[in-house]
Amino acid sequence: MINILTGIDSTASALNAERIRMDVISQNIANVNTTHGLDGKPYQRQQVVFETVLRDQQAGDISGAGAQSVQVARIEKDNRPPRMIYNPGSPDANAQGMVAVPNINISEEMVDMIASSRAYEANLAVIRNARAMAVQTLAIGKH
Amino acid sequence: MIDGMFSQPDYVASKKMLDATVMRQEAIASNLANLETPGYKRVDVSPSFQSQLSQAVASGNPAQIAAIQPELAVDTQAVSSRTDGNTVQLENEMLKLNQNMIEHTLETQLVSNTMWRMRLAITGKS
Repeated sequence: MINILTGIDSTASALNAERIRMDVISQNIANVNTTHGLDGKPYQRQQVVFETVLRDQQAGDISGAGAQSVQVARIEKDNRPPRMIYNPGSPDANAQGMVAVPNINISEEMVDMIASSRAYEANLAVIRNARAMAVQTLAIGKH
Repeated sequence: MIDGMFSQPDYVASKKMLDATVMRQEAIASNLANLETPGYKRVDVSPSFQSQLSQAVASGNPAQIAAIQPELAVDTQAVSSRTDGNTVQLENEMLKLNQNMIEHTLETQLVSNTMWRMRLAITGKS
């Protein structure tokens, strides 16, 4: 099927993937101080892994040429060890009075968030352009 | 006989260029979608299209121009400036996106103007 908005499938997949990434980032920021997760351990930072999907199977060959979409392959746990903070009053403190706090760096998450929203904006610009092109194409022959 | 009206070399060439612009838009959409995908290599309309088209236009044979098909190819000129091997550069793609838009405007106008001139020749009024 021909698409009047050129490349919209790639762009839509990217918007979706970036939104999932943003969800994961906000989850990380929300859980920056979670010392007691569902499994009883401190929260572990999560990160998304993007992968390319060949959109047009018959048009594409092994060389990877052709329009491609993107998807979130998996959401992975970051295996950095938790930070240990001295807080004997906490219910999650160990015998030495140390509490394991998730090793989340707020600055790192903020930078990821900016990168994600820039990528989102770039894809929105593609949609705007595709739309303008479609309008022009439909106006062929009108004078 | 009626086919002859629509097979002037410049009209056929502007249609081909329009096809290429639409294909490039698809390539840019794909590149920007994979802005953050590790190892992705940017795609573009294959550079052979331009040389084939200018050869065919120089020959002046509409059938030869019509036979050219633009296709997507991995851009081998692009080098990666990032550690993940991705060759897409945001600024570069945005510039290409705008450039492509202007090219598309030009080509739709070329096609429209050809039709307008034909209508003028047939009816004597625009």
